[in-house]
Amino acid sequence: MTQPARHAAMLSISNSGPNTMAGEKQQSTQHMHTQSQPSQGLRVPSNRKTIYDRHLNRSRSAELSRASFAFLFAEMVTYAQRRVTGIQDLERRLNEQGYPLGLRLLDLLYYRTMSSSTSSSLSSSSTSASPPNRPLRILPLLHLIHGPLWRLLFNRPADALEHSVSPETPNEYMITDNDPLVNTYISVPKEMSMLNCAAFVAGIIEGVCDGCGFEAKVTAHNQPTEMWPGRTIFLLRFGESVMEREKVLERAGVK
Amino acid sequence: MAVFSLIIINKAGGLVYQREFQPGLRKLSTNDYLVLAGTFHGVHAITRSITPKLPLAAIPNPPITPTTATTPSPNIASPSSTSTPTPSSSSASAGGYTYPNPGVPATGLESLETDKFRLTCFQTLTGTKFLLFTEPTMANIDVVMKKIYELYADFVMKNPFYQLEMPVRCEAFDRNLQGWLRGRA
Amino acid sequence: MSSATKASRIGEELWKTRVDKVNAELVTLTYGTIVAQLCQDYDGNYHEVNKQLEKMGYNIGMRLIEDFLAKSNVGRCANFRETADMISKVGFRIFLNIAPTVTNWTSDNNQFSLIFDENPLADFVELPDDGRAQDELWFSNILCGVLRGALEMVQMQIEAHFVSDVLRGDDTTEMRVSLVRYIEDEMPPDEE
Repeated sequence: MTQPARHAAMLSISNSGPNTMAGEKQQSTQHMHTQSQPSQGLRVPSNRKTIYDRHLNRSRSAELSRASFAFLFAEMVTYAQRRVTGIQDLERRLNEQGYPLGLRLLDLLYYRTMSSSTSSSLSSSSTSASPPNRPLRILPLLHLIHGPLWRLLFNRPADALEHSVSPETPNEYMITDNDPLVNTYISVPKEMSMLNCAAFVAGIIEGVCDGCGFEAKVTAHNQPTEMWPGRTIFLLRFGESVMEREKVLERAGVK
Repeated sequence: MAVFSLIIINKAGGLVYQREFQPGLRKLSTNDYLVLAGTFHGVHAITRSITPKLPLAAIPNPPITPTTATTPSPNIASPSSTSTPTPSSSSASAGGYTYPNPGVPATGLESLETDKFRLTCFQTLTGTKFLLFTEPTMANIDVVMKKIYELYADFVMKNPFYQLEMPVRCEAFDRNLQGWLRGRA
Repeated sequence: MSSATKASRIGEELWKTRVDKVNAELVTLTYGTIVAQLCQDYDGNYHEVNKQLEKMGYNIGMRLIEDFLAKSNVGRCANFRETADMISKVGFRIFLNIAPTVTNWTSDNNQFSLIFDENPLADFVELPDDGRAQDELWFSNILCGVLRGALEMVQMQIEAHFVSDVLRGDDTTEMRVSLVRYIEDEMPPDEE
């Protein structure tokens, strides 16, 4: 499963709803631990302007300026650059920054697809740890990423979804984005031409996969064409355990 | 209507960008461009500083300056020590004069024209200068200039690999600038 | 027409017609991940995190000002009161789609407060319940740096800090902004 350190990294700061994800034991035990300690708890404003008093879909269709995202992302890249030894290290760090986003977006995606598909959102949010639409097989997971995840983040689906044609790498899948939003304003210097800052998005994808219980490594690669100079392939490599489970589920007829 | 070329000069008068937009256009040497940038920067400062000024008493409500005793001459960033002297600062410290409308800063040289070409200068409030070489009859240069500034704000300022005040080497800026100018022609 | 009303109109018009948009949650979550990373890198030293956030904001502000000027096409402000309206009603509008209230001016017109009814950066956020974060961390401190960096580029040295934050249990989120001086000559380059 996932490395505990990564989950630990996302403990602080934000909260995007109840933790219903698989693979979150680390977090829930820690959570219970803090609960059992005598704590004075967080102060809240007298008008109760807290996250619990706001609807989770409040910002669903809200918009902010693309420039704000670009400046924040650029500063994230600049900050990461100060602490790394090379391009791979930089990509790893950007990946790590995206990862917690993936874990959280997954909750948000579940919540929203559920509340829009069932009439009662109340009952669905209190159901057990495995919501009905959680992907069990690789393909539905990839469709979740290619479609709903991409739409939530970038307001459009990804441009392509492919399976590796090589018989040696059946665990490899590729998601293509012709013009990744995160790279719109970025020109990578010639001496760093291998770098793709969409490693951040690769981290988001990895977070979604891990959160769903599909251990995977995801990387971003430059595949420019004349028409799409920023074309990026996200390579997903699923772990062995995932591939084995896939076979079992296939025999059992699970889709 | 042809746009020949573009030069960008940083706050200190250094050349940070230069591109031609007409294929086969004769290039000046790098040194010529550097001299051009520095000279223009100096002349620009002089033209600003020789702006006629009125006695301060004629202005009812000069803007506030909290910690300095001098009159706030709304100077654009002053040129660096490497360029021309700046008489404007000495006249400001004399405290007796100000521009006709203190809210509107004095600009420097804005355009320069010959029979064969026109050079238009747009200085941003932050002190960066965009110099555009065009045909003398070209209209709506301000529209072109504004678009260039927007592209600069997008593809230079939002690029984490660009360091402020340094030469602009941003492939996406080149590409979008070329594309937009071509689409316009 | 007051400068505030004029600025409001400019800001709203720009937001509607000139600003490219993205999903707000992408921005919110990206900012959250930046703060979380800093908290991790500085080992929960929130004072240092505040400082780093301000520094990041400063770096952003020095660049963002060009975007502000290129999009808004506005000229130099006549005084600091006008600057405050520009910040609130044009700047915050085009970058965060909010317009914090400008208030609590000092009599010398050199200090004001921005009151945030909304703060998109802090949507989804609850500070860690560690007994310290609510007393030490200014979650949105990057905004102070953005103002400092942006205004420095247009020859104003300012100081900005938060005095309250609903995330800390306060009833309002308030930033105090003070004009230190107008910069008349070239500043020595900042060591940041």
